[in-house]
Amino acid sequence: MTTRTAMPTIMPIRRTAPADRLATPADLTSGPGLRGVTGADDLKALSLLAAWFSPAYPVGSFAYSHGLEAAVAKGCVDDAGSLRTWLANVLEHGAGWNDAVLMAAAFHAPGDAEIADLARSLAGSAERLLETEKLGRAFAEVTTAAYGQPVDPAPFPVAAGRAVALHGLPLLPALALYLQTFASNLVTAGVKLVPLGQTDGQRVLAQLLPICETLSAKAAKAGLDAIGGAAIRAEIDAMQHETQPVRLYRT
Amino acid sequence: MYAAGLPSETLAALPPQPRARGVGRINVCEDGGATRLVDLYQQGSSKILVPRGEAPGLNAVLLNTAGGITGGDRFAWSAAAGEGARLTLSTQAAERAYRAQPGETGEIKTTLSIGDGARVDWLPQETILYDGAALSRRLTVEMAPDAALLAVEPVIFGREAMGEEVTRASLTDQWRIYRDGRLVHAEALRLAGPVRDILAGPGTLCGGRAMATVIYIAPDAEDRLGPVRAIVGDGAAASAWEGKLAVRIAAPDGAALRKALIPVLMDLRGGVLPRVWTM
Repeated sequence: MTTRTAMPTIMPIRRTAPADRLATPADLTSGPGLRGVTGADDLKALSLLAAWFSPAYPVGSFAYSHGLEAAVAKGCVDDAGSLRTWLANVLEHGAGWNDAVLMAAAFHAPGDAEIADLARSLAGSAERLLETEKLGRAFAEVTTAAYGQPVDPAPFPVAAGRAVALHGLPLLPALALYLQTFASNLVTAGVKLVPLGQTDGQRVLAQLLPICETLSAKAAKAGLDAIGGAAIRAEIDAMQHETQPVRLYRT
Repeated sequence: MYAAGLPSETLAALPPQPRARGVGRINVCEDGGATRLVDLYQQGSSKILVPRGEAPGLNAVLLNTAGGITGGDRFAWSAAAGEGARLTLSTQAAERAYRAQPGETGEIKTTLSIGDGARVDWLPQETILYDGAALSRRLTVEMAPDAALLAVEPVIFGREAMGEEVTRASLTDQWRIYRDGRLVHAEALRLAGPVRDILAGPGTLCGGRAMATVIYIAPDAEDRLGPVRAIVGDGAAASAWEGKLAVRIAAPDGAALRKALIPVLMDLRGGVLPRVWTM
């Protein structure tokens, strides 16, 4: 297999999974600018990904807590340690892993409508479906409007995977940034809800970043058969949020 | 991948485990307002009992005569309910998933087909996981647009009262439900490796040892949310959307799980549970 020499700027990801083992035919063909590219092209790709998967990208992600608001209300999450563990559970055994697997699948087959069906079908409750669909729709609309290539609306990870493929961008850093911004948004929600100091929040995020890296490397190689998890309480939290009397977040 | 979760140094010396094979199939149809058996097939370690006089519709009880599941076992169940028929499937006892040898996974595949206006209730009793178990389960449902499905899979990660401690195991339980040919619901439980540590987290099972997922897909599914919400306890919750109702239950042990689960199943079945559930 041809070794991809791009992306010298993402050393933390390479540390856990060398890029040459992760390159797939789809990686190489979908990104015509990525073989033997110059550093300037690498930088362009990373700038684009950093913009799309930033908490500042206007998809409204600040409005969703993924059930964390209910976990805090019940007292299951009440300090930095429990916030870190709850988020690690959601990343490793919940939507984090599943989204990464779906995003990789959508990247490899951007025209496959069945991946979007699977993403919708995996939503475990009404608010989970709302969250992934609203974010995905907003992401597709903003990205189409600002960056030209039309991206079809789909659940968030599917729309994200499609956009990355359409723009010929590399999958692995896209996965890492997608998970990082997912974690970062929820840390921000946790800081507000628990409440925690901003620096404590960043300490939590610092502990979650290696998890995001590891999951990205695994998801880039995994197929849809690897879907699944065990974030049972987090799924229950998301359901209980529906009937929570006072709510700052939509989920 | 499952073998990674097992301490091979302690298992390598074991003799090969006998493999169990089972195939069971049951087809029913509606006949003058009642549900009638059309076809029943059983092979190997799979048996199907049809107790008389249990309402509503036809009740079938699945039985694994091998007495449990180990790595390398293969079971395949299928059931079809024709137009207007009503079929309830349960298991005679809890299914035990015993320690598997490295690289070996027990498999159970279930396929349900539900015709127009028909209803199938898939109500197996608990699956009890033992330390070192490796089980892969798949439930595939094809249903007509106005068919109804009630499905549950309760799982117990070792019974504390029996001194059972599940440190490592692997379990995947994949559900794919198609309505009118299109995927409308998926459940994906996937655990591998240090399950006790994984399930200790506040987002997983808070150290609990039992869980269940109930899915009800039917024309009246969303109308049932109110009553179901009123009866679910603290460790459980319900949600309804797009013609589906889901109830998720996390419990400290099997007894607490039953206490939470049975009222939900009773409510969604008009007050009647298969007799095997209450014996």
